[in-house]
Amino acid sequence: MFNHVLKNLISKVIFTGLLTTTLLASPQLSAKGVYQSGPDFVAEVFAPQQPEPGVLWLNKSIRQQAEKILGHKVLGLRVRYHQSAGKTVWILNEIGKEMPITIGVVIDQGKISRVKILAYRESRGGEVRYPAYMAQYQGATLSDGYKLDKSIDGITGATLSVWAVNKVAALALYYHSQAMTQPESTKQTSESR
Amino acid sequence: MKSSNSVKTNIIWHRRLGLSVFLLLIFLAISGFALNHSPALKLNKISLSNSWLLSWYGLEKPLIKGFELDDKWLYENGNNLLYVDRQAVAPCSAPLLSVAESRSILFALCADTLHLLTENGQLLESFSQLDGLPANARAISAADNTLYLITDSAVLEFNPDSLDLKLSPEIESASLNPMTDQQSVPDFLGKQLENSGPSISLETVILDLHSGRFFGQFGVLIIDIVGLLICILSITGLLAWINRLRQIKQ
Repeated sequence: MFNHVLKNLISKVIFTGLLTTTLLASPQLSAKGVYQSGPDFVAEVFAPQQPEPGVLWLNKSIRQQAEKILGHKVLGLRVRYHQSAGKTVWILNEIGKEMPITIGVVIDQGKISRVKILAYRESRGGEVRYPAYMAQYQGATLSDGYKLDKSIDGITGATLSVWAVNKVAALALYYHSQAMTQPESTKQTSESR
Repeated sequence: MKSSNSVKTNIIWHRRLGLSVFLLLIFLAISGFALNHSPALKLNKISLSNSWLLSWYGLEKPLIKGFELDDKWLYENGNNLLYVDRQAVAPCSAPLLSVAESRSILFALCADTLHLLTENGQLLESFSQLDGLPANARAISAADNTLYLITDSAVLEFNPDSLDLKLSPEIESASLNPMTDQQSVPDFLGKQLENSGPSISLETVILDLHSGRFFGQFGVLIIDIVGLLICILSITGLLAWINRLRQIKQ
């Protein structure tokens, strides 16, 4: 009886060990790649219409708020976007762990209608680009605290990439609100900053 | 009697193995812990540029060269960052190919991005290959308030307001005389440059030590053997525990 239990225990230990080793040793699939260019993404979103290009100048207040959303300094004095009938497309970069992720965000009437990873440069965490995951962002708006009003599920092993996408989605919503409500006040020349 | 001997042998080998791997085991545990919490500990943000370490990794500090434009020095610091004088302004994949000035805007063409800067050296925006910059762009040049992008096969007119590119078949690239020859940056930037150049993150060093790669194939082999010994140690430990249970039962 004791020997039987012992054999069972040893076989279970060996099986668990082998399974763990196999899982740990399995190579991580590389997620790096450029999936779509910015102009192609914009054309796809607005097809068959031709969108109008726009420029949002980052004045002091916009920059401060954008930096609060991202948690770090914002590069550049202006941000380019495309718009048509209340719909805007923003192509923004944010660092996941070490490399920038290029993310396209479509905002329609103040709500996110689509998020897509256009280029992913990290070696791990690329699961974040799967359409099923990206679909979670649909309908999200900006809460009072300048965060997404929807809870977005995390992905094990891609936490930093998820955070980056969340921040970019919130930033695009904020930029959209600024571009839609204060287009004139934000169109300043670089000399005035 | 025979069983008692095998129990003793098992315990002796368990002790021997434990003694032989305990230091490495502690190191592997600590380095594994550090790697697991690398983002929180910000290990990837800690750059090491010790000359011995750099030479161990086959890196050497390059001679920094750049362009003087409108009394400013634009250069890539060897760490894929574009500098204007002492200020880092944007990521810039090496090499910095060319610079130009047109209509009070400074242009800096890196390997995969064209940066637009104000006269003060502040980044206006970046135009990357993902936005439509040709992959074979090799120089930029300004003439008659127009900026031209020179690729291996054509000359394109670049509109800095709309970021549009238009083919300019009537312009010969030879007639544009772009700035493409880099000069050594002056001494007054020397202090800045001492802190730039290639570096290795602490995370990379710990990861390489953890896996044994730091010492090449030999190191990897040692870590493999240690891994095997740890497995044997677990088995001998388990057997010792079972034998003890048996003894208590008897």
